[in-house]
This record gives sequence, structure tokens and C-alpha cells, in this order.
Amino acid sequence: MKIDSNYDIIIIGSGPAGMSAAIEASKHKLSVLLLDDQSSAGGQVFRNIAGNQRRKSASSFLGRDYWSGSKLANEFENIQIDVITQSRVWQIGEDKSVYFSCKTKAFCAQAKFVIIATGAMERPMPIPGWTLPGVMTVGAAQTLLKNDSMGAEDAIFAGTGPLFYLTIWQYLKAGFRVKAVIDTAPSKLPFYSFLWAIPALLQIRLLVKGFQWRSFIQKNTEYFKNASSVSFKGVNKADIIHFVDNTGTKKSIDGEHFFIHQGVIPNINLSMATEVKHLWSDRQKCWYPYTDKFGESSTRGIFVVGDGAKIFGVQVAVLSGRIAAKRIANYGSGISMMSTISSLVKRGIQKSARPFLDHVFAPTREWLVPVHDNVIVCRCEALDKAEITEAINLGVSGPNQLKSFSRAGMGRCQGRLCGLTVQHMIAEHNKIAEKDVGYYRLRPPVRPITVGELAALTEHDKIL
Amino acid sequence: MIIGGGIQGCSTAYFLSKRGQSVTLVEKDRIGRHASGVNAGGVRRLGRDFSEIPLSLAAADIWQNLGEEIGDAANGFHSCFYIKVAIDEEGRELGLERADKLKNAGYKHEIWIDADEIKARLPNLSAPSLGGLLVEHDGWALPWLIVHGFANAAKSHGAEIVERCSVLNLSRKNDIWQIDTNHGVFEAENVVNCSGAWAARIAELAGDPLPPIHAFAPMLAVTDRHSRILPAVMGVLGHTLSLKQLDTGQFVIGGGVRASASLSANKAALALPELAESMKLVVKLFPELTNSHVVRCWSGIEGYMPDNLPVIGRGQQDGLFHGFGFSAHGFQLGPAVGEALADLVMGQQPRVSLEAFNASRFCKN
Repeated sequence: MKIDSNYDIIIIGSGPAGMSAAIEASKHKLSVLLLDDQSSAGGQVFRNIAGNQRRKSASSFLGRDYWSGSKLANEFENIQIDVITQSRVWQIGEDKSVYFSCKTKAFCAQAKFVIIATGAMERPMPIPGWTLPGVMTVGAAQTLLKNDSMGAEDAIFAGTGPLFYLTIWQYLKAGFRVKAVIDTAPSKLPFYSFLWAIPALLQIRLLVKGFQWRSFIQKNTEYFKNASSVSFKGVNKADIIHFVDNTGTKKSIDGEHFFIHQGVIPNINLSMATEVKHLWSDRQKCWYPYTDKFGESSTRGIFVVGDGAKIFGVQVAVLSGRIAAKRIANYGSGISMMSTISSLVKRGIQKSARPFLDHVFAPTREWLVPVHDNVIVCRCEALDKAEITEAINLGVSGPNQLKSFSRAGMGRCQGRLCGLTVQHMIAEHNKIAEKDVGYYRLRPPVRPITVGELAALTEHDKIL
Repeated sequence: MIIGGGIQGCSTAYFLSKRGQSVTLVEKDRIGRHASGVNAGGVRRLGRDFSEIPLSLAAADIWQNLGEEIGDAANGFHSCFYIKVAIDEEGRELGLERADKLKNAGYKHEIWIDADEIKARLPNLSAPSLGGLLVEHDGWALPWLIVHGFANAAKSHGAEIVERCSVLNLSRKNDIWQIDTNHGVFEAENVVNCSGAWAARIAELAGDPLPPIHAFAPMLAVTDRHSRILPAVMGVLGHTLSLKQLDTGQFVIGGGVRASASLSANKAALALPELAESMKLVVKLFPELTNSHVVRCWSGIEGYMPDNLPVIGRGQQDGLFHGFGFSAHGFQLGPAVGEALADLVMGQQPRVSLEAFNASRFCKN
């Protein structure tokens, strides 16, 4: 395929937000290039939806919410846009040039507008043994389930959050035995949390669904509520999980496969490297890009939509993608507000349950900062809490200086797995607010690229 | 009072405080925040402009015994040979011509070696070489560590270092400088301007206008780990590339490809496509690096003079000294510049002539 020299919009990510933006843009006859690093559209939530439609066996256990993506996916299949799957975007220039790699070559495409729809990632959960083989995230467990109907027999789940319950529910429905579920959600909430339950009533269906998942799990697994002090032990791989149950009793369970989860946060590496303005959410304990109600960031023409802009879930992502594309279609004409008003209202309703969910599943300190000194914080450079603490004690003012002192955050993951942890640690040590500590200065390439790919950038023409 | 906490400012602070002078260093950001802390860390005499060679040789003496000056931080310096290979006829001519000139000037540190010796020294080099220039005992350093080494050594001799301290105004009354900063007013007999890309502004505040200094952001890239194949720092004659392999096995690719820099926003840009040319050379030299991943790129703000040579010496005002504008090759010179500026401030004759670096060269007419 030939890559056009100037698109109206380049969309990065084909999850619900990206797909819906693409559909809306094509309705307005805008030329679109969509780049995605997976082999098919769907993002994480609708991962492999086209493949699973062909494979009927997956239909039951993935649940009604998953299949609600079929309509979107089918509509997306039928629009006329350029799509490049298995491509990795590693830089967005100020002039809206988008650099990406695909099949061992690097390319550059240009557009008038860029929509970043790169979704969420799981919050790192630095607990003892989290880097041992055998310990994976719940998101990874779900990926295997959606891609290949693959699962682990007798797995043990530890953590909390909507995705935590959903995945265990899917696991059980798919026929996998689950050995134990260790739920770390606090069973008592401060009373003001319940004030947030009032707007959440607008989304009562969502809340009911959550309770149904949990009670199904409680019935069908050995379930421990209000657990704390979770750790894994093992020599070459994790073979036992230790925790403290709600009565304060120490418990241990043997196992082979462990899945952990502590909620999701926006994956901001691309938007941060693009140097748009970011804000700190004290409630969700994460960074998110500033966007106006249409999704436009602090840089004109660059939009961020979906969970990558802030965690609100799939329905909000679909509406946000549509709103952004409508805005672009009417850019500068001033009629965006009118044409998007119904989507904006619907989105407002869809957002109503989120503050309550944030309170219910707010990660407590023990999941944000390791309790023990020998817990790995930066996986790429293999730095434990003691080593990071030692560097912070030298008088580090922020994460960027910490890089120079300790090499934390300088590996391949570009700080995805240690950034928030070191931020919390510096905030505590220096006794300043987390938002004032700041975050790693993220720089291209956002994804690792090979020397060869970069060398070839200027040599080939724009044929893929 | 020293303005600027890069390698030049910190080494000047060190040599002055070591000799018992009372020193305050102010830095508007953090020690080693810009070019000094994030450069490629090349420590080379190789390829120096002839006017810089005496200073560079003096610096090399200090580098070889760096532990005596900055203690453990000197472990951040790794001595090895530095080589610049010729891979085309043009490069060979450049190299041979330079080798001749060096010989005629009586220098023995930098010599021409033939293709066989290149092969013996760099057995993993794939590109056929036509010989090259060599300097023994140059090397590379972790720049951030070295700058902090000088800063800490200065502190241990009593120097005061104030970070996040911006100079707002400079005035001179009764032979004393009044330095107005966001941390209050300081007084000093002498002011040393080591503020890099920002030096023209400081000079202007001091009443010593200079030609504009151009700020750019030299770019660097680092790969993931690779087995050891490069025992030296290397460049290519006629091309802007520097390549070294760190102890971790990672390759640092640099050599002067520049992006834009904004002094007001304190920001250095990054343009990876511009690095593509460097990558092409890397692939040519070591094809096995083709599939290595570039894990990070960065750049830092550096000040360039119109003739790419630094300004080192007395300013037009009494009690004003300059040391800036190193145009992306000042890191190795740092220790010798610090020593020379300390000499000047104390009214002594530096051991190396600084004639070529006088700011007056820009105002001949």
C-alpha cells in the first residue's frame, strides 16, 4: 500500500475510541490513516473480535459486553480508510508528522490532525516477587483468553478492580478452574465515598453487573476479601503466595500461575513524549493529558481520546472518539458544539459512575510503594526499593534527576513500570505533593526501534 | 562568584576553592542539567583545532590523574584509545593532511595508522578502512558523574553551590560586583561567566556585549546491550559520528547531529529522523548492530560560537572572566579551563596561552 503524503487525520490505536473516531471521520469524507500495533482492530477491550466472531466457541465466556463491540467492529471493517496493523508509532512531530515502524522499516506520514487513542495500561503493582516467572498481570491473562481461548488451570488471582472481577468471571465461564481469589479491595469505605454513589445510580446497570460478577466469583472460588501484604516466593519461579486475610491471619497458597491487578491508568507515554500538557489526578493516582471537551490537547490539532485521556471505560471512549472526529470535520466553523451536543450529554451520563468506582478501587499505599527494601521497583535496570531510596536520600528533586543518580526509568519500558512508584517515593521523602514531584521527561522513541529501521527511514519510498 | 554549574563552572570552582579562595557558584537549574551533564562524554584530544591542542593536552594530564582531584567520581572516566577511521578517499586525504600538519607542529599524541593496524585494533569493524587517526589514552566518561565530582570536590574545599538560582542583574560598585538573584543579592570581587548557551545574556548584564551565541541541541541515542565489540571511542573522518560502547554493553551514538533548542523555554528538541544519517553510518561500520534497539534518545542545550571556538579569558570589565561557547567540544577541556580560569582570577599566568580564545577576536573592526 502507498502511504499518502498528507492525510486529514492520523489515528493511533484501533480500540473503541480509535475505531469510533475513524468511522465518524469517514462519514465526513475525511482521509484517514489508522496505525495500530496489534494484528487486528479492537484494542484491549475488543481484542481479536473479528477472530472470535469466526470462532464461535469463544462466544459464551467473553460476555455480553465484549460482544457489544461487534457492531462497532463490523462498521469499522466497512469504511474506506488506510489501516496499517502491526505498526509501532515512536514519534509525533510538532508539524503532525507521525513516525512509525512496520516490518523492519521506519516510515513517516503527515496529517492535519492527529488523534492519539492508545488506551490504558495496568497500574504497576510492585510487591515482593512480582518480577518472578509465573506472576503475570490480569490483563495478560485476559489477552491470552481473547486471542487464543488460552488460560491457566488452577490460577490464583490477587488484586482488585473492575477488570479483575471481569477476567475471573470470564475464566470461570470458559471452564478454567480458579484456585483462589485474593481480593485486596478494602471492605470498609469512608462515608463520603458513598456520596459518589448517588451520581453512580445513573449507571445502576454497571454497578449491578459488578456485584453479579463478584458474587459469582465468591460462589465458585475460594475467595478472600479485604486481603493485604501479598507476596510471592519461589526460587526460579513463583510457587507460593503469602497474604494476610481480613481477620489478620497469615495465609499461604501453593500455585503455579498467579495473576495480579490493581486497576488501569492512562498509557501516557506517547502523549507525554509529544509534549502536550499533562495533569495529575489525585483520585486515580495517575497522569493524564489535558484535553478540552472535544478531546483536543494543549497542542492545536492533536487530540487524545479514550482511556488514554482519562479512565472512563469503553462507552465513554466510543463517544469521545466520535466527538473528536466531528470536531475535526467542523474545525474552525464553530458548529462543533451543536453537532456533538447529544454525544456530549450521553458521555456525561456514562461518566457518572466513575468517581464512585475510583473510590471503591482506590489503590492503598501498600500497592503503590513497596513495603520491603528488596522489592524491585525498576524492572529494566533491576533496581530495588533500597537502591532507589538511597538515590533519593542524596537529595533528588524529581524523577529526572533520579535517572541520573540511579538509572531508574532508563530501560526499554521507558518508565512505564516504575514511573509512578518513584514519583510516590520522592513525594513522601521530600514531603511534597505528588503533582509537584512531576514525572519522567519522556523522549522519543516512545517504542524501541532498531538501528536498522532508523537508518532506513530516509532511503525507501512510501510504499509499504 | 561563578555563574553556571556545568563542567567549566564546577572545575573553576574546584581549582579556586582548592587554592583557598572563597567561592560561590550559582546555577539556574541543577548541576550538570544541560550540555555538561548529558553530552556524549567523549574525552578526546583527537581532531582538535590547532589552537585548542595545548589546552587539550593540559586537560589530558588532569584526566589521567583525575582521582587526585575528584576522588571516586573519577571512576566515571574510562581511558581507552580514540580512533577516527577513513572509509573513503576524502576521509583518507583529510586524515593524512592533518597527520602531516601535526607532525610539522611537533605534536606526537595524534598519529596516522594504516588499514592493517586499524584492523588489528578494531577486529569487529566491518567497513573496509583506509587507515585513520589515533590517540592513545583518550577515552570516555559518564559526564553527569564527572560534573558532580568537580562540584562535590569544590564543596569539600569550602565552595558554596546554590542551585535553582538565576542571575537577574549584575552591577559593579567600588570594585565589587553586586549579583542580584532570585536568592537575594551576592557580592563578589570577581565574576566568572561559565553559563554556556546563556552566556551572552550574562555578559550583557555585566556590560560586556558579545556576539550572539547560537544555541542548539546536539542529539544522542543509546542502544540496548550488546556483546563487547568496540574497545575504543570511534569516529569517521569527514563525518559527524561518535560511537562508543559503555561497560553495560550499550552503544552511545552521537557526534553533533543537532536539533533546535529554546533558551527561554529551557527545552532541547529531538528530531530522530536527523539521526538517521548517523544510524546509516553505524550500520555500515557494524552491521551486527542493525537489529539492536535504540532505547532512548536525548539532547542537551549547548552554546555555539560563530567560529566554533570557545571564549576563555578576561572580559572587558575589571573582575569579569569568561569561559563558555565550547560549541559541543568543551567537556574534555573542562578541567584545564577550570585551572586556567583559576589562574586568571588569582592574577597568575595560566600554564597554557589563552590568546586564541579572547572574545576580542569577534570585534576586530
